[in-house]
Amino acid sequence: MGTVVTINVYTTDGKAGTDVSRQLAAAQAILQRADAVFSTWRPHSPVSRLRRGEITSAQAPAEVSEVLEQCAIARELSGGWFDPWAMPGGIDPTGYVKGWAARQALGAFRASGICGAIVNAAGDIASFGGLGPGQPFRIGIADPFAPDRLAEIVYLTGAIATSGTYERGSHLIDPHTGLATARAASASVTGPDLGLADALATAVAVAGAPGLDLVEALDGYEALIIALDGSRRWTRHFPFAPREAAPPR
Amino acid sequence: MRRAPIVITATVAGLVGVLAFHTTPARLSAGTLPGVSGTPAPTASGGSQRSQGTSGSGSPPPSSPTAHARPKGTAPAQPGGTRTVTGPAVNYNYGVLSVSVTVSGSKITKVGIASIDDGGMQRSQFIDEQAIPILEQEALQAQSANIQGVSGASYTSAGFQQSLQAALQTLGFK
Repeated sequence: MGTVVTINVYTTDGKAGTDVSRQLAAAQAILQRADAVFSTWRPHSPVSRLRRGEITSAQAPAEVSEVLEQCAIARELSGGWFDPWAMPGGIDPTGYVKGWAARQALGAFRASGICGAIVNAAGDIASFGGLGPGQPFRIGIADPFAPDRLAEIVYLTGAIATSGTYERGSHLIDPHTGLATARAASASVTGPDLGLADALATAVAVAGAPGLDLVEALDGYEALIIALDGSRRWTRHFPFAPREAAPPR
Repeated sequence: MRRAPIVITATVAGLVGVLAFHTTPARLSAGTLPGVSGTPAPTASGGSQRSQGTSGSGSPPPSSPTAHARPKGTAPAQPGGTRTVTGPAVNYNYGVLSVSVTVSGSKITKVGIASIDDGGMQRSQFIDEQAIPILEQEALQAQSANIQGVSGASYTSAGFQQSLQAALQTLGFK
């Protein structure tokens, strides 16, 4: 399956004359490296070999252990609702890796002259900065019932990830049963770390409303559930933005 | 499962609909696009050597916003007629493509692939089918709601088709 990564870079002077080709090249290298190491789709990737038991995580590239450690933390923080070790077919950190890789790639753009950047990995978004001073990014959340429409708009500080049943069929696995499950049409989580936000979004989509309490307990993370009946529930400080931006001045 | 491979596209400096697929870093230079303020409409080649992909800018001065993200942009709706620009052919992971963007005034109305040569690789075709509607969707949504991206926009192929069709219908295409 293809993952599309869109990168937006915003320059402080408002001009598009800044050359960010070096940063783009660095970001691309990071993403391709992550793909080469973590792909469960390439049979000879280290993670594929790990899944087949051909190598141990100690024998895999160093970032594999790092990601697995983060996955273990995410599993704990999600109350076990996110669990790469409970996937059919063997350990699958994919749900964390995409966000992790996007965040790594984002780092390439921290440079003078750049006031903000967005790395959007097929709908899971890492960012820093904004359009300018005091102008946060606005990000739409896709409507799970109408793919061409937006359900909500949020102010983005850091990262946002959205999981739902509409994505790629029923890929959300309940780690407690091993079955494809979802108790929400979609779940979005905002917070500083896209890898964790992604893991939590998956967890909340699988767990449903009880998942909100888990996120509420985490500093810096907020969640929104769009339920199967279309109703919404969210944590206290979920960063809703008005539909229309204030007119620019 | 969200699976690799990863395809890079880049949209830069507040412009949407800019693609830059690359294999070799040397060719990766989507970093810049023609400035907007007071800049004449870009030529078909983007007006700048470093500009890859396609710019939807090209609205008349002064400082008409391109698409969604001009920090100090003026209101959109600069009249400017409808025109289509095609970007230069760029390498991407599995071949070469070029992109076309149709702008009406300062609004991007269509993003599409003008040409693509992937050497007949099925995998590439599959990726294209996945990637292009996402980009089109992002490009179009980004302007309609003044946003810089969409979260949760990864759909199955069927979803992509649906989304694309809806977008095209909205535009009066069949």
